[in-house]
Amino acid sequence: MSQKQNGAEMAWNDNNNQTPPELDEVIKDFKNKFNSTFGGSSSGKSGASKAAKGSFKYILILAVIVWLLTGIYIVDPAERGVVLRFGAFQTSTTQGPHWHIPYPIESVYKVNVEQVRATEIGFRNTQNSYSGGVSSESLMLTKDENMVDVNLAVQYKIVDAKAYLFNVYQPELTLSHVVQSVIRQVVGDNTMDHVLTTGRDQVAQEVKTASQALLNDYGVGLMITAVTMQDAQPPIQVKASFDDVVKAREDEQRYINEARAYANDIVPKARGASQRIMAEAEAYKSQVVSKSEGEAYRFTQILTEYLKAPEVTKERLYRETLEDVLSSTNKVIVDSSSNSLMYLPIDQLINSNRTSKTSSTVNTFQQTPSGQDDQSVLRSRENR
Amino acid sequence: MNKIIIILAVLVAILLSSSLYTVNETQVAIKLRLGEIVAVENEPGLKFKTPFVNNVVTFDKRIQTLDSAAESFLTVEKKNVVVDSYVKWRIVDTQKFYISTGGAMSSANLRLAQNNQDALRSEFSKRTIIEVVSDEREAIMASVKGKLKSIAEDEYGIEVIDVRIKRIELSQEVRNSVYSRMETERKGLANKYRSEGAEEAEKIQAFADKERTIILANAYRDSEKVRGNGDAISASNYAEAYNQDVDFYSFYRSLESYKKSFNQQGDVLILNPDSEFFRHFNPSE
Repeated sequence: MSQKQNGAEMAWNDNNNQTPPELDEVIKDFKNKFNSTFGGSSSGKSGASKAAKGSFKYILILAVIVWLLTGIYIVDPAERGVVLRFGAFQTSTTQGPHWHIPYPIESVYKVNVEQVRATEIGFRNTQNSYSGGVSSESLMLTKDENMVDVNLAVQYKIVDAKAYLFNVYQPELTLSHVVQSVIRQVVGDNTMDHVLTTGRDQVAQEVKTASQALLNDYGVGLMITAVTMQDAQPPIQVKASFDDVVKAREDEQRYINEARAYANDIVPKARGASQRIMAEAEAYKSQVVSKSEGEAYRFTQILTEYLKAPEVTKERLYRETLEDVLSSTNKVIVDSSSNSLMYLPIDQLINSNRTSKTSSTVNTFQQTPSGQDDQSVLRSRENR
Repeated sequence: MNKIIIILAVLVAILLSSSLYTVNETQVAIKLRLGEIVAVENEPGLKFKTPFVNNVVTFDKRIQTLDSAAESFLTVEKKNVVVDSYVKWRIVDTQKFYISTGGAMSSANLRLAQNNQDALRSEFSKRTIIEVVSDEREAIMASVKGKLKSIAEDEYGIEVIDVRIKRIELSQEVRNSVYSRMETERKGLANKYRSEGAEEAEKIQAFADKERTIILANAYRDSEKVRGNGDAISASNYAEAYNQDVDFYSFYRSLESYKKSFNQQGDVLILNPDSEFFRHFNPSE
């Protein structure tokens, strides 16, 4: 509990219902009182005892003044002062200097109502890890009978100093109990996936509202300013399989991306290939058409001339062609009129022709630099 | 004379202080006269009593917390659950409270705890785990609260403000089976994601393959059309030209063929000198 007893300080004023008398009057008052009780009755005594009595009087007066001064207290802007008279609530005071009738008549509790305090549920550094430690505080059952590990941070402040002081024994512990109970109820009303993923904020919000309602029921005088879910995880025992699901999601995306990459690779290539095929076809068409046109034109031209002089032209064409053919080939003329059997070594004729050709190629290769010999031989062999 | 006055004053002060007592804002008090209750002070403030005859017992009237130890209960399906709960209560009938508990908070807590356990046990034995955890949690708490409230009010002079379940926990064996179920569930989910990814990938690839085949087939079709068209045009060109004189065409074309066929050094022609070409070769004839 954070209430502090009063501390006496410099000046004081009288906001109090008590309307304490001004200092001078107080002193005068007490002087009179003491004079009437002690001074009056002891008027006939000796001078020495009178002097002693006088100093005793002043000591008494001083003691009273000191006693009265102990009633001064200062309330900070963030605080509320709660004044009790003989234990009964008298008044509450706000910021500034105040005075109360000193002990044992009145006493003051000062409570900070602005300071935001924090408590944690399920944390390692939790204050109340009784009955089995932290994991028992953070591990809870969900609606679908799974378990989740939830850590909450609760921020709160005191809104009603009087209620905070007098209504509930151990208000902070009460808050902790309430939040623990409510978070389990809320988690128990939701599925695990909801708690772990999309519903986190909603769960925290529900905890805040429900806890506040209970605190109001009990009249604790506390207000929850924020509930944040620090951590919501599956229990450590099954964490690996949960991580694997995350990995599986990544894998799913990876497979799809790879397939897309494949599609993006082959489809444009196919489109390109189709363009090539079409272009080649067009080229072929142009080629054959042009060729046919040319050849047809050539034929028509020759035909025209042929028709003018058919015999001569035919003869000329024939002879020219034979000349062409015979000039570029090997020839053997056989007189078939002599009936003798003839041996004609056609193989040799063809081979001798080939050999003369190859030998000439070999000769040319032999002139190349020696470094390339292997290759040259190889090539000449291939030629053979 | 003076001494007598001082002694008298001291005596009066002692008398006064032993005949005055304060009841705090957080307290209620019972005034006893030689063991017999004569007054209940519910309001805080300065009170009087007769010295030596009266004595005063005070109690905390704030809301108290009974935080019972975690207790294990059986549910209707005979599963063990560990339940941790708390009870909020306060004294309302001070006299009854004093008589029934002897004024000890701890003894009140003990009795309430027993009642709480009994009530919870009977509620849990009627329900399944899933009901206990989520659907009927509220109902259990309300029912236990109701039971406890009437007992406490009648017997102990206590008002039960709230009964709440803090945590419900499965026993170790049940927890292990829950873990293995969670694991298999996750495994199923992971497989599902991977297979769905493979499915989608296969779909995309197959579609792309299809696309490629179609594109190429269409291109082949169109190219053949173009080629055929070219062939047709060239055929008609040839036909038009050659039809003018078919005989000359065959002669002319044959000559072309000879030229093309016999144009290699290795070719060997075996000729008969009687052929047309050699008409003038042998002038004897």
